[in-house]
Amino acid sequence: MRILFAVSLLLLAGCAAQTAAITAGGSQVELRQMQTREYDTLDRRGTLRSVVATLQDLGFVIDKADFDLATISATKLQDYEIRMTVIVREREGNRLSVRANARFNEQPIEDPQSYQDFFAALDKAMFLTLHKVD
Amino acid sequence: MIRPLLVALIALLLSACATLPDDAFRLTESALALRELQTRQYEGVSEVDILSASSALLQDLGYAIDEVEKELGVLSASKRADARDPTETVGKVMLDVADCLLTLLFGCENDSYQSSKDVQDIKLTLVVRPDLSQESVHSVRVTMQRVVWARSGALYDQETVNDAEVYRAFFDKLSKSVFLEKGGV
Repeated sequence: MRILFAVSLLLLAGCAAQTAAITAGGSQVELRQMQTREYDTLDRRGTLRSVVATLQDLGFVIDKADFDLATISATKLQDYEIRMTVIVREREGNRLSVRANARFNEQPIEDPQSYQDFFAALDKAMFLTLHKVD
Repeated sequence: MIRPLLVALIALLLSACATLPDDAFRLTESALALRELQTRQYEGVSEVDILSASSALLQDLGYAIDEVEKELGVLSASKRADARDPTETVGKVMLDVADCLLTLLFGCENDSYQSSKDVQDIKLTLVVRPDLSQESVHSVRVTMQRVVWARSGALYDQETVNDAEVYRAFFDKLSKSVFLEKGGV
């Protein structure tokens, strides 16, 4: 009897864990900050094109690209898999914010270094786009 | 004495297979060399014409177009293709047969043939963008990756395609397709 109770408890716990994953993570201010960079421009097209070029530079293949929603999704396949989504939004003061979030295999990437590296690469592409040689 | 060592070894193995490589988001030297390989420039052809020439070529090659975003010059496509290497497959079958003959008394449980390559899913992105410094010049960049499945249905390999020959062959065909597009064929 007791064993049955323990087993059902275990099963219930299993269910709870599965659904908890749906809303797990998110809303951490720190995470948001390290995943976001702002640029002094309103050139949405140029910014999105720079994001695409940077992702290609880093070995990603683009899964989805939407200009109207300013959203890019991409995948990198090596011995591992990285899935990345980048969203560009307008901000106050004629600025655009670029937010990137990525998963490494099944785990969300939450170390600042990865995002710093990504934005360092994006900075270079953005510089070239925003200072076109005329 | 042995136990801590064993634990350390297992920890090392586990961390080795589940750690994000340091350079995953870094522009390395090889990444820049790869960019050269994956890029070709076209002069005097509009972005839309290059995109339609590209989708025509991808259709020629048996790809399905998964995603097109004209505003950003992005086109993604995929196909499933044979991944069998005839020599490898024959070799593995022979190995299985030889193994079976040797273990005839104990029964044959070899399945190295099952672990040989079978099909591959190829996915590529093609991006057209105006050259930043030259008028009426567009650069086309293609990146490809593939997932190879074993006969048993298990994952055999997944990789980004870095083979120079593959990109050269692709761009040779694309150049022809762009030429035909210009001529309205």
